[in-house]
Amino acid sequence: MNFWFSIFRQTGRNLRQTWTTQFMTCLTVSLSVLIFSFFYLIYLNMLSAGDKVTDDLRLVVYLDEEPGPEMQKQLRLKISQFDQVQEIKFISREEAYARFAEQLGDNRDVLTDMPTDFLPASIEVIPLKTLRSLNQIKLFSEYLATLPGSQKVQYGQKWVERFYYFTQLLSIIVLLSGILLILTATFMVASTIRLTIFGRQEELELLKLVGATNNYIRTPFLLEGILQGLIGSLLGLTSLYILFQWTARHFSGAGFLDLFTFTFFPPGIIATVILLSIVLCTVGSYTSMQKFLRI
Amino acid sequence: MTETVAPSRTAMIEMIKVCKKFPPNVVALDDISVSIASGEIFFLIGRSGAGKTTLLKLLCNMERPSNGLIEVAGMNIHQVTGNKLAKLRQKVGVAYQDFRLLTDRTVAENIAISMEVSYKKPQIIRNRVRSLLAQLQLEDKHDILTGDLSRGEQQRVALARAVANSPALILVDEPTGNLDATSTEQVMELLIRCSNSGATIVIATHDEALYRHSTHRIMKLHNGKLASLTRGDGQERLKSMEAMNGGSSDGI
Repeated sequence: MNFWFSIFRQTGRNLRQTWTTQFMTCLTVSLSVLIFSFFYLIYLNMLSAGDKVTDDLRLVVYLDEEPGPEMQKQLRLKISQFDQVQEIKFISREEAYARFAEQLGDNRDVLTDMPTDFLPASIEVIPLKTLRSLNQIKLFSEYLATLPGSQKVQYGQKWVERFYYFTQLLSIIVLLSGILLILTATFMVASTIRLTIFGRQEELELLKLVGATNNYIRTPFLLEGILQGLIGSLLGLTSLYILFQWTARHFSGAGFLDLFTFTFFPPGIIATVILLSIVLCTVGSYTSMQKFLRI
Repeated sequence: MTETVAPSRTAMIEMIKVCKKFPPNVVALDDISVSIASGEIFFLIGRSGAGKTTLLKLLCNMERPSNGLIEVAGMNIHQVTGNKLAKLRQKVGVAYQDFRLLTDRTVAENIAISMEVSYKKPQIIRNRVRSLLAQLQLEDKHDILTGDLSRGEQQRVALARAVANSPALILVDEPTGNLDATSTEQVMELLIRCSNSGATIVIATHDEALYRHSTHRIMKLHNGKLASLTRGDGQERLKSMEAMNGGSSDGI
């Protein structure tokens, strides 16, 4: 009988004897994984939605007068002085009118009595994709407001700000639930192993007396930690996947949620969550052994 | 009466000026020096509290001596640690006075433990367990939880576990305390069989019937001190029986 055969037998025997405690630990680990992964999944989807929003981000500078070619050249120069931009587009009053009419579609009749130059001329600035943070966008818009002839700068401030703060809040929740996962998983596994050790102290002492090596005694506990991490995280992620499928089926393709394309974790993140749970549970198990296994 | 009886073969156990004190100031063993040869059967006698169990505990490294040196198989057992100590313990079988059985495990599982830690093959373990149970007339108890056994049965299971891994040294504490005459005979037969296979056996006992007529060395402890080291009267009895029978005897 080799070492690993004995170890697996010991582990199996222990799991059979303490299955209720083991089950509760697995459940706690899986709940922690579920809570953390739930917020992390929302956070990731919000980030990708944010990328989409910022892809479409453009700052519109409304002007008092329609600039001539020389003025346009100077304005371009001034804008580029702040930062490099992806595109600068001058919209004349007529173009603005044509766009508006197109947006109205079948209701364009309301414009029949209006002059074609009633809308102000404007500059559409599409910033580079590196300009992402709310502060940078604010600073840029403030700079654009100081351009000669600038009347007003618009970029959907309220929407961008709300979105920005929401993703900030989510990142805090993800961080907190991550810490919660680490603490819960580690403490739960540590206390389960501690209980098991107390319950089996007599047996462990006997094993020591009949010549069991430290590895022979300790390895089953480490294996239990690994199993709890693996099964707990798999359970948590499976529950999240079921929840994700249900949400995708019931809420996709309508209104606000149409903005987002919900996606589940890529395999890399799934593997990382599983690995992290296993490592945490093993650490919990190991610390308990070091503290309480009097061998 | 103190008589020095030297062992005839290489020493399995060497104890030199061993003392053991327990706090606050209880002297359990005082200045014990003895050498026990490989393959020898050695009796340890004395009244309750004389220090027999303490001496066995020192020999299996459950306790450390306050003073003195103890060598088992040429190694100072109190300086050996880690895997070396584990390997050494695999060669020492101990039947404890309080049995130390796992009462929620079956008889077979309890006996198998000592072989599992040295990674014996399952088939070998199964055969050895069955053979030991047969020798101790416990075949029908194979799958019974040890917690459900009588004291006498538990004692025999503890002994079976001690000898199961074919250790080089067997320490037995009161092996017949709860046994009837037939069971005592079975236990002694098993121990003698182990001795014949080369194992050194140290038996701590109150039971005079076990050692009185044996030919083995007997160490008597009194209040932790070595009171006497003699040999059983088996040899004299043998000689007198030979004389009575005109020079021939089948022995004891």
